[in-house]
Amino acid sequence: MYDIKPLEEEWKKYKKKKRRPWFVLIFSIFLILLISLTFLNYKEIDFIKFYDMSKAEIVTNKSTTLLIDKALTALEIKKPKASEVRQIAEIEPMTVTSNENASIEIVEDLPISEDLGTIKEPRVNIETTTIQEPRKKMHLEIIETTSVSAYKDVAKRFHQSHDTDDSLFLAKSYYRKGNYKKAEYWAFQTNKVNGNIEESWLIFAKSKVKLGRKNEAINILTAYIKRSNSTEAISLLYKIKKGIL
Amino acid sequence: MKSRYEAAKNVFIDSIDIGDYIELDSSTSAYKQLEHSMDKPLKMILLFGKPGTGKSILLNRIHNKLKNQREIHYFDTPAINEKEFFHKLFKVLTKKDLPNNTEVNFSALVNFCKNLRGKREIIILLDEAQMYGPEMMEKIRLFSDSRAVKFVVSLHKTEDEDLIAKEHFQSRIWEVIELKNASKEDQSKYIHKKLLKKNLFEVANAIKDKDLKLIHTFTKGNYRECNKLLFTLFEICEYYDKNDPSKINYEHMPKRIIEMAALKLGYIHV
Repeated sequence: MYDIKPLEEEWKKYKKKKRRPWFVLIFSIFLILLISLTFLNYKEIDFIKFYDMSKAEIVTNKSTTLLIDKALTALEIKKPKASEVRQIAEIEPMTVTSNENASIEIVEDLPISEDLGTIKEPRVNIETTTIQEPRKKMHLEIIETTSVSAYKDVAKRFHQSHDTDDSLFLAKSYYRKGNYKKAEYWAFQTNKVNGNIEESWLIFAKSKVKLGRKNEAINILTAYIKRSNSTEAISLLYKIKKGIL
Repeated sequence: MKSRYEAAKNVFIDSIDIGDYIELDSSTSAYKQLEHSMDKPLKMILLFGKPGTGKSILLNRIHNKLKNQREIHYFDTPAINEKEFFHKLFKVLTKKDLPNNTEVNFSALVNFCKNLRGKREIIILLDEAQMYGPEMMEKIRLFSDSRAVKFVVSLHKTEDEDLIAKEHFQSRIWEVIELKNASKEDQSKYIHKKLLKKNLFEVANAIKDKDLKLIHTFTKGNYRECNKLLFTLFEICEYYDKNDPSKINYEHMPKRIIEMAALKLGYIHV
């Protein structure tokens, strides 16, 4: 063996070449890690900013919805279709004509400032009272969310499905909150879909009394009693007439 | 002082010396297969495989083992020309020498073979048969048709040789024995047995499993390549042993030296 030195040199070169991919790999991993760390750091700062901004946005949105309650008002402005009105007129001609006019008036006259006052306060009241209603799971959902948007969702759902459970719930809730105009509106909507729900007729009449339309309430109740002979309605009519509601 | 690696180096000098034959599972199996095939009434047996898979040593071994029992002849080197081949064949068949300036009458020799049928059974081991041209192979086939002469034809496995096999032997009664490169286990046994045969226990012990794996990777299990690599490997060791002992570990073969040998032989490149 006389060519050992060149062979040794060749081996050194070979070893270097063999190690090169490893060096490249390690360097690449290091580079990727470095880039990822830098990127993460940058993202974190950005995220904090973004988080703050989104928080602020949420707060403002919440306040506007609480104050204005736009969607609900918009829904209420919707005038019922002539065919639907006719359908109800067949069941209760007297009541319907007076109610229709009344509801439109109510909605058109609806002052935003009054809404502000009524919506702002009694959120806790809704929760406690609705918990006692075991009949509707939907109420519990609203309690969990406790936001105005939940009422909007129910109203939206009603317009899609015409489920009287939804409209009656809204009528009762608004009545309890003292928002009698909305209570009257939702009771009316319930009656339009199903004219045999006693609770809805009672809320409708009570809301009218609270709004100072006692005669209308008496007329409605009289017509309903004639049709259903309901003791609850009779008792309410008595209370209205006596002025003890 | 003589280096221990000098003896180890000489173990791996490539030869077909029967004394160097190493019993391995694969080689024993090929040997038995060939021996069994030769007992069958076959005209031609084809032994093929890549160079360095042990065809020649197998033929040599079978010749050595059977030469005293049967009429077996080993043509280790191919004849330069047809004349030389027929002179050799004439000698085998007639047991007489022909003067150099005499031509063999081919058809007369074929007839002579036919007359031998049932009287003698001659086996001719033809190594490196890829050196014979197609015309020559055709004549060999005619001899084998006499059924007095059996040919064991050893060929390198290449596309061309497969073609020869197809063209000349496909329609004949023949058997194919293929020799393959050694597995890692077989090659490891081969290296260790070779060293132990020469009492080089310490050297054998210094070649560990991962070294054997590396050797197998470089040589792909080819016996000839393995011999070459180990010869070069021990040559480098011998140099270090004599000139720079600090670079060698007697307990364990340095990977560096195996790689250097592989570099020298061109198995790996810079």
